[in-house]
Amino acid sequence: MIQFENVVKKYGDSVILDHLSFEIEEGEFAVLIGPSGCGKTTTLKSINRLIEPESGRIFVEDRDIMESNPVALRRKIGYVIQEIGLFPNMTVAQNIAVVPKRLKYKKDRIDQITHELLEMVGMSYDEYAHKYPSELSGGQQQRIGVLRALAASPPIVLMDEPFGALDPMTRSVLQDEIIRLHRKLKKTIVFVTHDMDEALKLADTIIFMDEGRIIQMAGPDEMLENPASELIKQFMGKRLATNGVELLTAADFMKPHPASAYRSDGVRKGTEIMARRKIDTLLIKNEDETYAGSVTIGNIKKFGKEARTIGDIPLTPNVITYTTSDAAESFEKLLDADSDFVVVLHQDDTIAGIVTKTSMARAMADALWGDE
Amino acid sequence: MMSFFQMYGQKILTAIGVHFLYVLVSVSAGFVVALILGILLSRVPGLARLALPVISIFQTVPGVVFIGILFLYIGMKPATVIVALAIYAMFPILKNIYVGLLEVDRNLIEAAKGCGMSPIERLLEVELPLAVPSIIGGLRMATVYTVSWAVLASMIGLGGLGEFIYIGIATNNNALIVAGAVPAAVMAITLSLLIDWAKWRRAGKTGQQ
Repeated sequence: MIQFENVVKKYGDSVILDHLSFEIEEGEFAVLIGPSGCGKTTTLKSINRLIEPESGRIFVEDRDIMESNPVALRRKIGYVIQEIGLFPNMTVAQNIAVVPKRLKYKKDRIDQITHELLEMVGMSYDEYAHKYPSELSGGQQQRIGVLRALAASPPIVLMDEPFGALDPMTRSVLQDEIIRLHRKLKKTIVFVTHDMDEALKLADTIIFMDEGRIIQMAGPDEMLENPASELIKQFMGKRLATNGVELLTAADFMKPHPASAYRSDGVRKGTEIMARRKIDTLLIKNEDETYAGSVTIGNIKKFGKEARTIGDIPLTPNVITYTTSDAAESFEKLLDADSDFVVVLHQDDTIAGIVTKTSMARAMADALWGDE
Repeated sequence: MMSFFQMYGQKILTAIGVHFLYVLVSVSAGFVVALILGILLSRVPGLARLALPVISIFQTVPGVVFIGILFLYIGMKPATVIVALAIYAMFPILKNIYVGLLEVDRNLIEAAKGCGMSPIERLLEVELPLAVPSIIGGLRMATVYTVSWAVLASMIGLGGLGEFIYIGIATNNNALIVAGAVPAAVMAITLSLLIDWAKWRRAGKTGQQ
């Protein structure tokens, strides 16, 4: 769909693109990433001829772009810029219609497109179509920026750090939306960012650039597993420190200090603890602090009247694991077991914590996105 | 007082009409020329560096001198006054058009390019609309100045409110000076408010500040 062949771009003596060659397939979501000045934005702008290289050739849909009229080329390629770039003198509807109008679409067709697009991002036509950009929030403005790029159904959409200026919450929502739009519309998208989280979330293929060259071009998983250089490792940052999920142990995932009682404790004390912590199962320890089992609220009801101490109530065994066990193994135990939790023990069989589905989900989120 | 108006009322009305006509025609002509030049200057960067200093030097030539020179070449015709006023009216408009076009956000121009707008579409649909507030500012300044410069028309005997002021000064007749000065001031203020109002209405319409 998009092919670069030995593309060179210089500004004076400094080389911005250094014999760049790569290919982006149709329908692919390609993310260009790298440090400032690595040439990612220059690469993007070369595709719609906002920047023209000194040498080398660029093909879009198998045609050398230097042979096509730049204005016509740009009408076939959607473009979303950093800092939104909506025309403040035009309404939302007029902004969306910019390219269709140039392609001489009929007025009712433009209206229909505008309706459909606004609906697609959950903005009501009646409410928003005739507003001016200054009347919208930042997130809404960038949604319209994306819709404007999509309005004439171009096969390719270029996006230059489109969500960079948005707050993290809005950015995340828009990222989800762009993933959804990509799945639905199957456009070829080239997206520039300096945010590795964004790249990993969105990309089919990540193109990592530095000093005008491609350091690595790979899918997100491949890049996470085998980063090709120190610089890429730095960009991955935190995710690599844990080196994936395998090396984590149950101790990293468990909820420490679960509610527990001794066998010799009274039943009344046990039920008080359960009521206070709002739980239906209580872990039971032997006098030497080692794990003995658990009692459920069901068994307390059943046997509690005759029993004096908790030790008199039949204990329920739990699925157990050790603090040093592999985290993945603990997860499997948890998922296989009927129980809602797995008990984690120290090497001396004293209670360390429990792993629940909630603690597992939280720990995985921390491992994947860092615990900021 | 009554006898003053009986004597001069009709004359004052005519003078206001003539004065207003001078302002209208010369500002309109100046505006058209400024628009063309301003766009030209903003397209050719080297040209602006050359033209702007020349224009600002020219602007320091006093209006009286300029009308005097034109009078020698064109003669005692309304054209003399209109050409002179139009040239003076052009300067503030030209400067504001140039600055207004130059100040359009580069990102927006790139967005317009990226959307496949041709250079002329970019100018008409993005750059000029965005420069409008600045252009209107220049227009207002030019209009107010021209109302006062038009007083000079009477210097070469071509009427307008200046006639009252000059005769008033020459004959030491304060009533005549006031009869010329007050309508001129009112005209300047009214036109200025009118332009502000148009600017405000447009801003309201486009949601711009």
